[in-house]
Amino acid sequence: MTMQDMMKDPLANIVLMHADDKLMLGHMQSDWTGLAPILEEDIAASSMSQDDLSHALVLFDALAQRFGLSADDIAFERDAADYRCCDLVTVPDDFNWAIALMKRWFVATFTALGIDRLATIDDEDLAQRCRRLIPEQAIHVRHLSEWVIRLGSGTDESNRRMQEALDALAPAASMLFEPPDQSIESTENFCCGREEMFEQWKSQCERTLREANLSATLTLSPRSMAGGRRGAHADHFASQLAEMTDVRRAEPAPAW
Amino acid sequence: MSGAANPVSPPDITITCDPDKLAEFEQRIADGVLIEPGDWMPDSYRALMLRMAEHHANSEIVGALPEGEWITRAPSMLRKLALIAKVQDEVGHGQMLYRVSQELGKSRDDMLRDLITGKTKYHNCFNYPCPTWGDIAMIQWLIDGAAIMNQKTLADGAYGPYVRTMNRINMEEAFHFKSGEDMVLTLMGGTKGQQIMAQDAFDRWWPIALMFFGPADKPNAEELPAMKWRMKTERNDSLRQRYVNRFAPAAMDMGLVIHVCEKDAAGLVTSKRPDEAIALDEDTGNWSFTQPDWDEFWRVIRGNGPCNAHRVALRRLSYEQGAWVRRAIGTGAVATPPAA
Repeated sequence: MTMQDMMKDPLANIVLMHADDKLMLGHMQSDWTGLAPILEEDIAASSMSQDDLSHALVLFDALAQRFGLSADDIAFERDAADYRCCDLVTVPDDFNWAIALMKRWFVATFTALGIDRLATIDDEDLAQRCRRLIPEQAIHVRHLSEWVIRLGSGTDESNRRMQEALDALAPAASMLFEPPDQSIESTENFCCGREEMFEQWKSQCERTLREANLSATLTLSPRSMAGGRRGAHADHFASQLAEMTDVRRAEPAPAW
Repeated sequence: MSGAANPVSPPDITITCDPDKLAEFEQRIADGVLIEPGDWMPDSYRALMLRMAEHHANSEIVGALPEGEWITRAPSMLRKLALIAKVQDEVGHGQMLYRVSQELGKSRDDMLRDLITGKTKYHNCFNYPCPTWGDIAMIQWLIDGAAIMNQKTLADGAYGPYVRTMNRINMEEAFHFKSGEDMVLTLMGGTKGQQIMAQDAFDRWWPIALMFFGPADKPNAEELPAMKWRMKTERNDSLRQRYVNRFAPAAMDMGLVIHVCEKDAAGLVTSKRPDEAIALDEDTGNWSFTQPDWDEFWRVIRGNGPCNAHRVALRRLSYEQGAWVRRAIGTGAVATPPAA
């Protein structure tokens, strides 16, 4: 069994979709550790990054066991085109807390729905792993939603900044729902029922946005539109991946 | 990570207060009673304690920066998770120590502003560069190891909130130290390239670790407020000696060589030779060693180190970028302070 076998497996692609979102989200947001706007939220954001990376690890580990790989190999040793994260997670936040928060909130809300579904599939190992993630994911969604509301309905300035972040991210947000593999049928249970899940996500997001005095138009992108989940990543992904693997590449070694 | 070793030696303190109250206060300290925020204390005690706790808090959040820069490059999932958790701990220590300081009478925002305008300082060891992953291993092993040694003596101090915070911090630092030791062992047991990475980083950090405890105290240190009032409980030289006794043999056991190095202005080693002073005195049990370059120490602490400007600039960027969030939730200040 090889990395190529894993990449041809439809279920593995669905798992990687969530795991890679979490890997890149945790990876990029961890850059805020020590630099967030207030110390208490710095600590909370760092905990979420650790959760995201730990969740990714739990899922990589499931695949590693199935395909005779190591979790680190899956995390660090794939070609860029084999990462299944969506474009939204890799958008640089340019040290703008509104972008960082909005991005994490969009993704966390999506992931919560995705792992809920994966927790019910007819694959006990994966389902059981996903059940472990549900409570922590729910805390993320609650925490992030509260912050979206707090800053959206805070001052005129914070409302403007949050609306600008929303305007910047909303068009790409529906690419969260890009199927990671064209052959996956929309109705397959582990693929979540794309349209139904989108409607659920949209309605949750809109409810929070209303409370936050923010607004966005969220529309599902065409199924045929290819982006990060099918390996067509934005240009910045290559440099993010290079940074993530910088030490490993500089000195190939059996252990670090 | 960072102990409050020597928040710059206090100037001579003029103690102007009720002599009876002062005598009672000093007796309580001598009796080992912890001083609590609501207790009577001399103004100079409050000022010194605030300076010490604030300096320590500053050191924690500036200390988060050099390691934080390596989170995105950590070479495995487990190292990445451990490093985020470690840096998060440092931020958490900063949060706890700012709260101790706030209770002594200074607002958090004032402290953050004083930090980015250069009015207050942080531990000198964070003004040095971390060019490789090996530096991250050495910080966690050598510097966190030094911090534990220092902070254990600070936990014997007299100010209750600070002592309790030290005890809590020390538990977490012990994990950092073990993590650092594991990283160094992994590098030294790895490829030739990894061993060179570890040795080069050790060469950079060994003298910084020796400086960590600060320069020698004044001969009458025990009679001066910091020690008399049990803000610190051990002389810097004594701590340094205990540190060398513990770490010099440990480093050599791992295959590391202790060098005396010349460094350039960027903090990088330009030449080195084995430290021939390294030897165990069987009678005293003490290891002898070459003192670090104290001229360099004073140069760096006065603001002219390799990374002073970079560290403060990053803290300023963080302060400025986050100001709108603090304004929105009603905790913070309102305008950006002028550049230093």
